Amino acid sequence: MTEGVTLKKYRFDRNQLVIPYLIYLLLFVVMPLLVVIYYGFTDDKGRISFANFAAFFTNSKMMGTLVYSLIIAITVTVICLLLAYPVAYILAKGEYARKHAFLMVFVLPMWINFTLRITALKEILTLLEGNLAYHPFMNTVICMVYDFLPFMIMPLFNSLTKLDQSMIEAGYDLGASFKQVLFKIILPLSVPGIISGVTMVFLPAMTNYVVLDMIYNSTYIMGSLIGSYFNSYDWNNGSIISAILLMLIGLVTIFTDKILSRNENREVRI
Amino acid sequence: MIVLRRMSVAVLLAAAVLPVLLTGCGNEESDEIVLRVCNWEEYIDEGDWGEDELIELDDGSRIIGENNMIQDFEDWYYEEYGEKVEVRYSTFGTNEELYNQITIGDVYDLACPSEYMIMKMMREGMLVPFSEGFKNASAENNYYSNGLSPYISSVFNSLSIDGEPLGKYAAGYMWGTNGLLYNPEEVSDEEAAHWDMLLNKDYFRRITIKDSVRESYFVAAAMYYYDEITDPDFKNSPDYHERLTEMINRTDPETVKAVEDILVEVKDNVYSFETDAGKADMVTGKVVANVQWSGDAVYSMDQADEDGLSLCYSNPEEGTNLWFDGWVMLKNGLEQDERKQRAAEAFVNFLSRPDNAIRNMYYIGYTSVISGGDSGLIYDYINYNYGADEEEDSVEYNDIGYFFENDTDEANERYTVITTQDQTKRQLYAQYPPKSVVDRSVVMACFDDESNERINRSWTNVRCFDLEKLFK
Repeated sequence: MTEGVTLKKYRFDRNQLVIPYLIYLLLFVVMPLLVVIYYGFTDDKGRISFANFAAFFTNSKMMGTLVYSLIIAITVTVICLLLAYPVAYILAKGEYARKHAFLMVFVLPMWINFTLRITALKEILTLLEGNLAYHPFMNTVICMVYDFLPFMIMPLFNSLTKLDQSMIEAGYDLGASFKQVLFKIILPLSVPGIISGVTMVFLPAMTNYVVLDMIYNSTYIMGSLIGSYFNSYDWNNGSIISAILLMLIGLVTIFTDKILSRNENREVRI
Repeated sequence: MIVLRRMSVAVLLAAAVLPVLLTGCGNEESDEIVLRVCNWEEYIDEGDWGEDELIELDDGSRIIGENNMIQDFEDWYYEEYGEKVEVRYSTFGTNEELYNQITIGDVYDLACPSEYMIMKMMREGMLVPFSEGFKNASAENNYYSNGLSPYISSVFNSLSIDGEPLGKYAAGYMWGTNGLLYNPEEVSDEEAAHWDMLLNKDYFRRITIKDSVRESYFVAAAMYYYDEITDPDFKNSPDYHERLTEMINRTDPETVKAVEDILVEVKDNVYSFETDAGKADMVTGKVVANVQWSGDAVYSMDQADEDGLSLCYSNPEEGTNLWFDGWVMLKNGLEQDERKQRAAEAFVNFLSRPDNAIRNMYYIGYTSVISGGDSGLIYDYINYNYGADEEEDSVEYNDIGYFFENDTDEANERYTVITTQDQTKRQLYAQYPPKSVVDRSVVMACFDDESNERINRSWTNVRCFDLEKLFK
């Protein structure tokens, strides 16, 4: 009897749909993260320690790796942005009957597994350069740009299609040159797209060491450095580097959020 | 509607609970032995050979891998011991991965790590010693004790951790050396006979080296001590091998620093540090030489032969790294279950039966530690692979008696292989190196934690971007 009563009280709430994802989040995102933080701030005997944290910032080789990763990531991101923006703009604003079909062509490479694509690119580059090992940095940048370009085009395309055409026309009507329209109207209004594109490209470019391995760049980036620590059973130092990267990512996100909200305010003022 | 929903919840719950109940019952009722085996990837015969792959030996034996070796073992065990055994087979990619898996809590009964990992596991008390029954060479099914090469056996006994010999806890599987695979059209035999070829500017960006701390450390240490090692007085001293072993295994801060400097130079000269791509890059001709394990060297030479490219293998004169992979039984898997231990030991014995050893060798390209004991199958197999007719431009390859019996002229005579000239520096040489190579082969020790940390840190230094470069 009592069981029936309690069951009757049960009401399905739409909010409960979120439960599966919440369980997933707890098990596979939050828990591992706590484990990483635990290992990052303990020593090999399990005592709480900040030595690993301090070691990261005082070890010149670790800082070297951070700088090298940043240089790669910035170069890749800038090139991706310069290549993707005009394409996304033409696709979004051009008078094409089959806009989305064209977009597909640019995103098509994503359908092929990336290791396969890099292997193909490796052969092409060998043919062009003779020996891949002469230009490890350049090859890394070429491969990463090739790999990440679609991730830049997509968000840019989306934000540029949403851009209000009447604003651009108003700009021209009031006598602005193309340059002025571009820098005063189009670029500022596509900042959200630029930011999401940049985050999609920048962060993977800092850690995707598979590309470096495949293209024979023997210098470590952050991802390979973390891997090397885990390979030598040093979970504490490996974890702290992951945690520090995570904090850097967090800072970047907060920073971009600020820019975004400022940008929204400006839109309201217009 | 509510009723419907309630029913669907019940069905869902039942669906979730049912499998748990079923497997729960299943385990308790059956008396099948479950053996959890963890081995390297592609490191056992998986069967399914084509008919043209049949191996016919001189004594009339016909060896072919029809079924998976695991399945053959299960059938054989049931026939021999009347008990059903189910092998749960899984694989690992690196020794470190295996070790990490086990420390995280994966449970295996039998695993196949390399020598230094075996020693690490011994030191940490993770292993169960093989039983006395297993070591009894006269018992019929004890193919391992009966067929183990006396040379490998002596190496196993010479290595010890806390006073206990390695042979007590490990049964060998495959062994080999570390050397230089090279393209003889580009590189001379003389150049490939020394590790300092890695610094030769003539081959700038045309040589690859292993992306492994231990492998690279060994090579660079041999380069660092070049003058001392090649000194005739040192070479001819009675305790040459002990001194060489000690020298190459030095890990004092000074040596580690010097090795690091050499590796930085090597890094600036080589094509890349590779884990697996080296084989393909040799065959396609992207590189002209490659630091390689003997088994992978054999594989590369076979591949290149198909493309009409002839590659050679050399063990440099300064010294080479002797390695082996061996089966160990894990404490947390066996849990003192005697039936399980018997099955685990039988598994090792089954793999060591000469015909099975040949199947595995054929399939994976590495060299088995089994020399066959009373059975002449292994020697027949070498002849089958590399033997040549007397009329051809043939030579006697007669320095491998040590592997089968002992290092005497009679044994060398008995195990002579009449082969072609080029095989003395190709597959045959790589698979069964002559005594002179074995004499300068050194097993790299399992370093203590402090040395390991020093070496790992130095390796990170080699691989990380040097900030000073920016300001120069």
